[in-house]
Amino acid sequence: MTDPYKVLGISPDASDEEVKKAYREMAKKYHPDNYVDNPLADLAQEKMKEVNEAYDTITKARKGGGGRTGSGYSSGYSSGYSSGGSSYQGSYQSAGKYAEIRNAINAGNLQYAEQLLDQAPARDAEWNFLMGSLYYKKGWLDDARSFFQRAASMDPYNQEYRQALNMVSAANSPYRQTGYGPPAQGGFDMCDMCTAMMCANMMCGGCR
Amino acid sequence: MFGYIRPCAEEMKIREFERFRALYCGLCHELGREYGLAGRAILNYDFVFLAMLLWGDAGTCDYCFRRCLPGFCRRRCVTKSAPPLTAAAGMSLILAYWKAQDGVADSRGAKKLGALAVRGFLRRAYKKAAGKYPEFDGEVRRRLEDLSRLEKARSESLDEPADKFALLLSSACEAGRQEDRRALEQLLYHVGRIIYIADGYFDLKGDLKDGNYNPVAARFGLTDAHVPEEVRESVLETLMSSARLAAAAYELLPASYWTPVTRNIVYLGIPQMIRQVLDGTYQTAVRGRPKHPARLPDRTESEL
Repeated sequence: MTDPYKVLGISPDASDEEVKKAYREMAKKYHPDNYVDNPLADLAQEKMKEVNEAYDTITKARKGGGGRTGSGYSSGYSSGYSSGGSSYQGSYQSAGKYAEIRNAINAGNLQYAEQLLDQAPARDAEWNFLMGSLYYKKGWLDDARSFFQRAASMDPYNQEYRQALNMVSAANSPYRQTGYGPPAQGGFDMCDMCTAMMCANMMCGGCR
Repeated sequence: MFGYIRPCAEEMKIREFERFRALYCGLCHELGREYGLAGRAILNYDFVFLAMLLWGDAGTCDYCFRRCLPGFCRRRCVTKSAPPLTAAAGMSLILAYWKAQDGVADSRGAKKLGALAVRGFLRRAYKKAAGKYPEFDGEVRRRLEDLSRLEKARSESLDEPADKFALLLSSACEAGRQEDRRALEQLLYHVGRIIYIADGYFDLKGDLKDGNYNPVAARFGLTDAHVPEEVRESVLETLMSSARLAAAAYELLPASYWTPVTRNIVYLGIPQMIRQVLDGTYQTAVRGRPKHPARLPDRTESEL
């Protein structure tokens, strides 16, 4: 197995705080929100697993030495990951054909999905949304945005369509919240929760 | 291919900047050593970025001091030759040659003569490079043929021609390590897409004047140099989305000796370039005029 400290990019004599900080940064970087509909999502997931394992190994090894650790933290992130992957389950109740197309897009079988979409009889909101997803995965972002816009205007109350549109808009993207940009204001997301848990955990161990 | 991909120098550490400059000189020397004067003439920042990405686990860099024509009086610090540098030099030459070839096919009159001269000048060097990287050469030629077909047909899609150019650049990932290929390919794809669209926007005025095909003008039906606000917004969003996807792919590459510089380029240099191209300040910004310290923006975080 690779050196867990190397995975987190820190030296073995880093303090517990530094380990936590490095872990939090890595976990943010590879968070599934940053890889929605991304053809590299599987690589990011692998990386996330590696980071989680490295953090667990370090905290376990340090527990013997008396260092306080926040083990609830890693579980928070790993559960975040599995829920992130299922963003498409929302409207599985729609026609079976569309479900098949969704599966094809999720599996990266873009040619097949494109073929099915070409044959689809109706050009409704869902069709536009799926076309947008297809183009997004191909990296054709201008066309993707046009389709997402059309889907969102045909069905303005659909949460999924609006989220997709936000994803390709510069102003309000998930990257802003979890990536390198300034943190989101006033929201309560997974990171806040983890931070809160971490703080609580530190208070518990205050009398060590 | 056009020198758009450069770091945001104000945010670099001085040692990073010095190393970057040494690599730039090193690539120039490498091109000179392998391909003669014709090789040196094609040097630009995009190829230096490519060399850094191809670095992989080649470890630290060796430096030496050398003279060159523009800096004859003083010996400059340059990087010594290394395998990633050689690969980047060969691929750069192939790209530059096919770009000149493209210019021959597309232009008329005096410009055509100029393009013919450039192509003739690069010909021998190109043959040598193509012998080394035949697969890459074939890929670039095919993609450029597709691209010029789309441009002749005056395609109204922005993504389709950009896709051809992006695929062309992303095929350079073959020189990277096997396990990094997928992330590298995706990163280069989006960088290529950004270069193509930003260059289209930058050339908008000239292309409209000469009646040449311009992807941005064709996509939004522009007929004069005035760009409506919503068009600018739309181009900004598509470019920034690509920059974010490039950054997401970049994060999946392992760290290398050049990580501090490439990180700066991905998170600061590219967004800054996009913003400057879109608000029309790019040309003055890259001319290297003295900068007024009070007017430099305070920015340590990424704009992505």
